[in-house]
Amino acid sequence: MAKSTFVYTTYIRTTPDKLWSALTGQEFQKQYWFGMHCESPYTTGSPWKLVNDRGEVWDAGEIVEADPPRRLVIRWEHQMRPELRAEGASLCTMELVPAGQAVRLTITHSVEREDSKLVEAVSGGWPKILSNLKSLLETGTVAFEDPSRSKK
Amino acid sequence: MARSTFVYVTYIRTTPERLWSALTEDAGFMKQYWFGVHCESTWKPGSAWRMLYPDGRVIDSGAILEAEPPRRLVIRWKNHMNPEFEAEGDSLCTMELEPIEKAVKLTITHSMEREASKLIGATGFFWPQILCNLKSLVETGSVVLAEPFAIN
Repeated sequence: MAKSTFVYTTYIRTTPDKLWSALTGQEFQKQYWFGMHCESPYTTGSPWKLVNDRGEVWDAGEIVEADPPRRLVIRWEHQMRPELRAEGASLCTMELVPAGQAVRLTITHSVEREDSKLVEAVSGGWPKILSNLKSLLETGTVAFEDPSRSKK
Repeated sequence: MARSTFVYVTYIRTTPERLWSALTEDAGFMKQYWFGVHCESTWKPGSAWRMLYPDGRVIDSGAILEAEPPRRLVIRWKNHMNPEFEAEGDSLCTMELEPIEKAVKLTITHSMEREASKLIGATGFFWPQILCNLKSLVETGSVVLAEPFAIN
């Protein structure tokens, strides 16, 4: 079946445990995810949602696999924009591999259709979020605050 | 024509001028984040460009096709270390710098006019390591990876 996939790899000076906490902890997420946070117990089969600072649910789904601090797979359906919502479920896989004094984080986000608008949207979003996450873990502050300033 | 392309976007807390320098004439800085490698060029349109190991072996060579500091650099880029890559001929590497708040959005687009290019496959593996090192070095004063990371 035709597929749209976005892959992004980053290397962050931290430990797998700290990175797993940063990827799943709400207060930390709000700092690097432009005010958004995720709600889930992060156990296999549990519900998951991505919520903005006004409580609006942007994406919802469930945890397909959770193997802390190595691998997290989320079934991810967008809720806000009709044209993205119409595409149905996407799959987001986060893989953490120790790399020297750092961790290699690979995000793979895919939809089982060609030219997915959702995958196009997350292709713009993930580099911002993960650049902020890397800066926050390595320096204590994010790289930039306002994602609307970088919309292209 | 069929094409292979790798795109990587990162946001680095610095100025376009500082980032431009780190990507071009500041060879001492480049050696720190590029595992000892540096480039030689006058960084003017039409000038020769090459990338060298510390022992002087030429890894890649080509020419500067466009140079618009501190915004845009286009390099014609051919590998010489790997016979399979060398046989593929010229690739094109475009670097774009765009200020956003106190950071710079750096977009690297590395492409070749052939399907399933092995060189582009390899750059997709190395660019994230080099650019994560560059981001860490600029933001924290030290790199994230002392040695190139290889799986198994």
